[in-house]
Amino acid sequence: MLRSSVALTILVSLFPLTALLFLGIEATGTDWGALLTDETWRDSFVTTLYVVSVSTMLSLVFGTWLARTVVKQRWRFTSTILKIPMFVPHIAAAYLFWLLFSGANGFGGIEANERDYVTVILTYIWKEIPFVFLMMLGTYEQLNRGYVETAKTLQLSPYAQFKHAEFPFLIKPLLDSTWILVAFISFAYEVPALLGVTYPKLLGVLAYERLSTGLYLEATAPYAVALIWTCLVGFGVFVSYLMTASLRRRIERGVRR
Amino acid sequence: MIRQGFILCLTLLPFISLFFIAPSMGIENNEAIVHTVGLTIILSGINVWLATTFAWWLLWTESRWKHVLEWLVFLPLFIPMLATLFGLYLILAEVGLIGTYVGVMLALLVVTIPYSIRLAYNGMAVIGRPLLEQARLLPMSRRVVYVLYPLFSRTMRTIALFSTVILLSQFALIQLIGAGLIPTVTTELYQSYAGNNRSLALSNTWMLILFPVVIYFLLSGWNRWMVRMLKGRLQ
Repeated sequence: MLRSSVALTILVSLFPLTALLFLGIEATGTDWGALLTDETWRDSFVTTLYVVSVSTMLSLVFGTWLARTVVKQRWRFTSTILKIPMFVPHIAAAYLFWLLFSGANGFGGIEANERDYVTVILTYIWKEIPFVFLMMLGTYEQLNRGYVETAKTLQLSPYAQFKHAEFPFLIKPLLDSTWILVAFISFAYEVPALLGVTYPKLLGVLAYERLSTGLYLEATAPYAVALIWTCLVGFGVFVSYLMTASLRRRIERGVRR
Repeated sequence: MIRQGFILCLTLLPFISLFFIAPSMGIENNEAIVHTVGLTIILSGINVWLATTFAWWLLWTESRWKHVLEWLVFLPLFIPMLATLFGLYLILAEVGLIGTYVGVMLALLVVTIPYSIRLAYNGMAVIGRPLLEQARLLPMSRRVVYVLYPLFSRTMRTIALFSTVILLSQFALIQLIGAGLIPTVTTELYQSYAGNNRSLALSNTWMLILFPVVIYFLLSGWNRWMVRMLKGRLQ
């Protein structure tokens, strides 16, 4: 019983890798030169990079700050409320923001469906802060206060205290959440389709629309783009984990001891 | 205090939009709701089952493949969802599962399982091996009913809730793999948004938000009742 369900789980987990293989096979016929010089794709790529980096950075900073403050000040009620946005589906969140920022309701001079993608970024931040918050909360609750006390006795500046006594322990959850967020935000359809503009579209929207409308029935470009983007993210994951490997291992050993 | 109030306001602010206009009360499409409820129940059930068994296995195994498999099941988290989806589309088209309930289910399972396993594994790691070790002396059914279920009922609830939220967020997946033949509340929201029918779109949004809430309370009540009953039986 246990064995067969474990086998089933492994089988299901193999699907995404097989999917990438199929993507690769399908993308072989693509004219790579034309793809890389195509202005529509290039504009989308730049906009996507901008949206992803801004929303990921802000979510990480605010999420970490909130987890730190909540643990330090023991805000139990706030901690509960902060988790609420996580249980709102992305698409519903996008529609709420669309209503909040469209037409007559234009809130604080920001409007939905404009080229700077401010509302898309806001939606993602609202949705992802609780995620980062939850990832970091566990770490902060288990953090050994002894290091911070030592840093204080040594009269380090608040920044240096954070850098030497807290940050090393945050590297692993930060790294995990960064790449989960990047993978999640960068190549999605739902939110930017609702709040975005027709040009430049985010990569995910452009790829999905090229794939699903009859106009480009023979196009292999969306598959190629999906593959390239996955490879880029994968490369980032690989390099960043490799670079921090020795540091993370040392910290894990230290904490266990 | 002021800081806390500010943070709370910002967190709850977007919910105001729910009250801007009246949602339409008439239910337009029963089929979409039935599909959504059906998919939610099946998906949550499978996720809870597969994730807890796998996490349990991962906790005790001494196989040398442990680390490889651990990476394998967490790896999909780092693959962009649409890329997985495009690939799955190609695979399922090969087998002829596009436009079927089974195909959609399978695709949803593939995208939710890594999150569920992670949640289950973290839940078990918090309780730790020493405490769970004693439970291994019990026969399988007693172990599950009297020890594992009461201990992990909250984790199971979170897994069910997470799978539901991910399922409700999927438009591209259900539209592409379902070939537009399997309407859910999410696809309805898109269509009413594109058709500029605001009150219908809003009523769909209400449903998307209330779904997880209802599930949360139902499962909490069920868990509480079950645990109380099991405790009574032991006395």
